[in-house]
Amino acid sequence: MQREVGTLPLAPALRARLAAAGFQTAQELLDTGPCGLSKEIGISREEALEALQVVRQECHGDAARTAGGSGATRKCTALELLEEEQTQGFIITFCSALDNILGGGVQLTKITEICGAPGVGKTQLCMQLAVDVQIPECFGGVAGEAVFIDTEGSFMVDRVVDIAAACVQHCHLIAEAQQEEDLRKALETFSLENILSHIYYFRCRDYTELLAQVYLLPEFLSEHSKVRLVVIDGIAFPFRHDFEDLSLRTRLLNGLAQQLIIIANDHKSAVVLTNQMTTRIGQSQSTLVPALGESWGHAATVRLIFHWDNSQRLATLYKSPSQKESTIAYHITSQGFRDVQPPAVTHSTEGTELNPRKRPRTEEEKQ
Amino acid sequence: MAAKKLRRAQLSQEMCERLSRYQITTCQDFLCLSLLELMKVTGQSYYEVQKLLCKVSRACAPKMQTAYEMKLRKSVNPSSAFLSTTLHSLDRVLHGGVPCGSLTEITSPPGCGKTQFCIMLSVLATLPVSMGGLDGAVIYIDTESAFSAERLIEMAANRFPAYFDSDEKLLCMSRSIHLYRELTCCCVLKRIMSLEEEIISKKVKLIIIDSVASVVRKEFDTKLQGNLAERSNFLTRGASVLKYLAEEFSIPV
Repeated sequence: MQREVGTLPLAPALRARLAAAGFQTAQELLDTGPCGLSKEIGISREEALEALQVVRQECHGDAARTAGGSGATRKCTALELLEEEQTQGFIITFCSALDNILGGGVQLTKITEICGAPGVGKTQLCMQLAVDVQIPECFGGVAGEAVFIDTEGSFMVDRVVDIAAACVQHCHLIAEAQQEEDLRKALETFSLENILSHIYYFRCRDYTELLAQVYLLPEFLSEHSKVRLVVIDGIAFPFRHDFEDLSLRTRLLNGLAQQLIIIANDHKSAVVLTNQMTTRIGQSQSTLVPALGESWGHAATVRLIFHWDNSQRLATLYKSPSQKESTIAYHITSQGFRDVQPPAVTHSTEGTELNPRKRPRTEEEKQ
Repeated sequence: MAAKKLRRAQLSQEMCERLSRYQITTCQDFLCLSLLELMKVTGQSYYEVQKLLCKVSRACAPKMQTAYEMKLRKSVNPSSAFLSTTLHSLDRVLHGGVPCGSLTEITSPPGCGKTQFCIMLSVLATLPVSMGGLDGAVIYIDTESAFSAERLIEMAANRFPAYFDSDEKLLCMSRSIHLYRELTCCCVLKRIMSLEEEIISKKVKLIIIDSVASVVRKEFDTKLQGNLAERSNFLTRGASVLKYLAEEFSIPV
């Protein structure tokens, strides 16, 4: 109640007038009442009433926060966070080596950035993840939907059809091997049409549309509460050409990063971004580094860099808060993103390749 | 979409006038400002500004479509998804041929046959759909002056002798291939920008640019300062316009 007038979310002109009239705290405003306020600072009664309602709402929000209310608070103990993290799902990539170095897969509530040269497989991985996020929970997935924001136009529906068909077939094989009722029931809803209808696709042609879409994303996500993955394919493309003012670019990117972090946390979804590579010309040699500059490097929590080594594709975990830096090789087959070594053909190991959490079940079966 | 005036974003008249005093007239200017700046400029409270942001964003945000709708749309017209190159192994590797609606790049050392391939594709595009073509006109932007009309006629007559049996058919085919000779970068860019109207008026079904690299390498020497940025600017701007044209009209480029 002792909140200063200058910190209230009122229009600046109104704030200036209140300060000129000598009002200092919110309590004074509430005591004066709308009629008194309108006479003192010379605004209409309706405007005064509106302002008072805003003030009252703010003060109620403050009171609830200080009383330890829920919802607006973002603090909790580390133990609660640990429990949350352990029960949190991962979105698997079908490449067990990549899942291993990521600690289980793409983590929810975190921003993952994939950088790489053109043609190395970033969009392929994004399409794979958009299918994998929909795997039902009994197969080790998170049973969510996906939002795909495309700025480069490299989304090919036919390719997604191939990847989804391979994923469905994989789950069918597991269900047959395990012979359990709930697996088979889950498979009924996990069909090609369902997978495709739960990938929400937006095509943004320049950075204005991208900004607008990210502003509207929280509303969209609250309508479609099952979304667990937001992919922005090509965050660098709209910002790399036609931008003379680099400080504006940095500011817009930072704002974008902030909003994405809020979206990831509030809706418990994973955010995956793909970035391009640029050449940094040093004194004697030039190196390939992720594009968009140094300050953008702080936006993502986890950073993967895809690169070539002769004709082998490699993925390096460049930045991660919980896993150590390592490099693995991967393959892109007609079925999607896969390991280099094909897994052993026996059914029990197929189950373990899908998700480490499945291991207890198959071991019990063997016993 | 970015240059959309705020007037059309359904903001009130007085708000638009107020914003134009600060030189904010398009959605792009509006969305580039931070929340505090917007509050100062519009003179509204925090919650009001958020509502305004939502309104403006809705005006220029893209439409949502599910992947399923996209697939249905494609499967309605399966033949129009690819332009077959009539080289069977190439078509197999490309999953049907040159894809419609996206950019395809052909690169090779000199003398391998890129221009010949482009000429053949132009012939194929003018063929009727029943023969695997796109039944439309072709826009050929030539920067090396390597296009030879005689070679075009020779190819068409020898490849499809049954179809091009009369001179008239050959003439008709060559009439639907529009050739533009551009020799500098900014001419190429200007030509690409003006293509939208031509595509609609001439019912164009294929755009070929032969070749992008030659004109860029002639003009921009990357050893000079600042040229690298200009060159990439030119290339990305051209690329985004071409991508837009390819997607909008569902034609191969």
